[in-house]
Amino acid sequence: MNLWQAVKMAWKSIWGKKGRSALTILGIFIGIAAVMTIVSVMDGYKRAMLAQYAAMGTGMLNVSIYNWAYDDEGNDISKDYFPDLRAFCDAVPEIRGVSPQGRLYNVAVSYGTKNTANMQRQYDDMGNPVGDFPPDMYYGSDQYSACNNLKLARGRDLAALDMSKYNQVCTIGADAAKMFFGSSNPVGKKLLVGGTGYRVAGVYASRRTENSGNVNSNLDNFIVFPYTDQRMLGGEKPSEFVIKLRDSDDMKEVKTRVNGFLKGLVPNENFYVYSNDQWQQYEEQALGMIGGVLAGIAAISLLVGGIGIMNIMLVTVTERTREIGIRRAIGAQRSGIVAQFLIEAGMLCGFGGIVGIGVGTVGSLVLGKLLFKMTIYPSFPVTLGAFSLSVAIGVLFGSYPAAKASRLQPVEALRAE
Amino acid sequence: MAHLVELIDVYKIYGEGLESEVRALDGVSLSIDRGEFVAVVGQSGSGKSTMMNVLGCLDIPTRGEYLLDGADVSELSDRQLSKIRNKQIGFIFQQYNLIQSLTVLENVELPLIYQGIDPIDRRDMALEALERVGLSGRIKHHPTEMSGGQQQRVAIARAIATRPPIIMADEPTGALDSHTGLEVLAFLQQLNNEGSTVILITHDNGIAATARRVVRLSDGKIIDDSPQDVDWYAPVKKD
Repeated sequence: MNLWQAVKMAWKSIWGKKGRSALTILGIFIGIAAVMTIVSVMDGYKRAMLAQYAAMGTGMLNVSIYNWAYDDEGNDISKDYFPDLRAFCDAVPEIRGVSPQGRLYNVAVSYGTKNTANMQRQYDDMGNPVGDFPPDMYYGSDQYSACNNLKLARGRDLAALDMSKYNQVCTIGADAAKMFFGSSNPVGKKLLVGGTGYRVAGVYASRRTENSGNVNSNLDNFIVFPYTDQRMLGGEKPSEFVIKLRDSDDMKEVKTRVNGFLKGLVPNENFYVYSNDQWQQYEEQALGMIGGVLAGIAAISLLVGGIGIMNIMLVTVTERTREIGIRRAIGAQRSGIVAQFLIEAGMLCGFGGIVGIGVGTVGSLVLGKLLFKMTIYPSFPVTLGAFSLSVAIGVLFGSYPAAKASRLQPVEALRAE
Repeated sequence: MAHLVELIDVYKIYGEGLESEVRALDGVSLSIDRGEFVAVVGQSGSGKSTMMNVLGCLDIPTRGEYLLDGADVSELSDRQLSKIRNKQIGFIFQQYNLIQSLTVLENVELPLIYQGIDPIDRRDMALEALERVGLSGRIKHHPTEMSGGQQQRVAIARAIATRPPIIMADEPTGALDSHTGLEVLAFLQQLNNEGSTVILITHDNGIAATARRVVRLSDGKIIDDSPQDVDWYAPVKKD
């Protein structure tokens, strides 16, 4: 008996009991849909995370120096460690740049009628920012752009002179430029920052890629000031720094050297150096663990579905004992009977898998939008894997009933009602 | 030349050694040659169905030798027995034993499918068999849509589609009215005339009278085995 005949027979048997077949595959279809949704949403989120890391750049060391000091009146008299750090980094060929990484809060920025004091951080249902969104404000050095994977689109970048001369200039991200200045050229225009005019020196190109979604909605919505402007704009002396390497392979060695240098510079070792690759690793590990647990739960539902298949196939074998007897009497081999029931179970689960893949695709799209504001399609390997898995479950759980059917003695099977 | 079918001191015992043991076949020896038309007659419980199961390779005897075409059946594997049932024997059962979910044509094609015959030849062979039983107009019907007589004709078509040398019929008229029953018997005689060996199992002496040779069974033993004259074209009426 050839395969095509067996497939046709299995189809007839499944179609002949439509209602029961549909109920039988319910378990498989729910399990497959769950596994697919989980795997592809996790997958999509990981891609988004990696894209974001890539946008911010890899091969970065973050340095924290927490050696603050205050006078009796509570003024910040901490040492500015940046010049020393800068001098060290300039002498290390593997380092591409270094910059303070301070944030500036609670200072209103305005241009014309646009004023961040009037802006609210509002999101729509999908998590996209609504209307004008206040930009993040950073202190940086002339190497801020090099450290943060930024490319200049217009004007000039921050320069070393801007630091030493306390120039009232800034550079802005693509979204911030659009928000304040619309389609006109921002370069040379003055933003009012806390009442003081800051000339826009340059605009950076967008870092957003197709994959980055909205995981960080302010990826291009920011303003960078020379870190020395902290004297006018407020905030404390920089304590966070970022060192960008030319090649992330040198990470370990450079990290050791930076650590060694800081030991000699900062009293009591009040500093900490970490690479963002480390964070990426931690996050990936955590994500993998969550994904594993969720997939495990989904796998249990698949197991339950498989047992359902086995149960119904056993019923089918009992119901069709006489048919098996007839087939054996007119010449069916045992292997033919096994093939018949295995193919039927495999096909049944295959249909469940196809429905599950459909629902899983919709689930991935909906969950991706709701949770991560991304368009997540299940990848081809995931889809193929889900289908193969469902057929495999059918064959696995169908094998016991099929073996049972094939072991029936023809004469006894023929006697069955 | 060897007999086509030869039973040598065959026993089929259920629950052997127990007090309740049943000897369905109790030391039966029988040989049937090519082209014979043999009726095996007996009351219910006489062991005739067991004999048919053994002869049809559906069941294995407890003891004794069964030679089919010279080969010892007890030494054959399940796979080889399936092949014999498929190619050497055409079964006709009292309850027709058609598969309800398949159409008439598919039922008749089934043994040919198990033979691995390609679809076009298979269809031709099945259609030819259906034409012989006068059902070529109803090939798309399902067995449940047909009368008992028609279903039995489908079963006959299935039995002869593979052109087996042996036809085994177990009470083929048992579920039919007398007129339809006679048609079936006439058809068996015709097959015998064309060269098939026919083994007919029945409890009905009138039906057994259509055979050229009658083997009588009682309590698992052969009590009579004798040839008889038969008028081929006017089968004896049922009692």
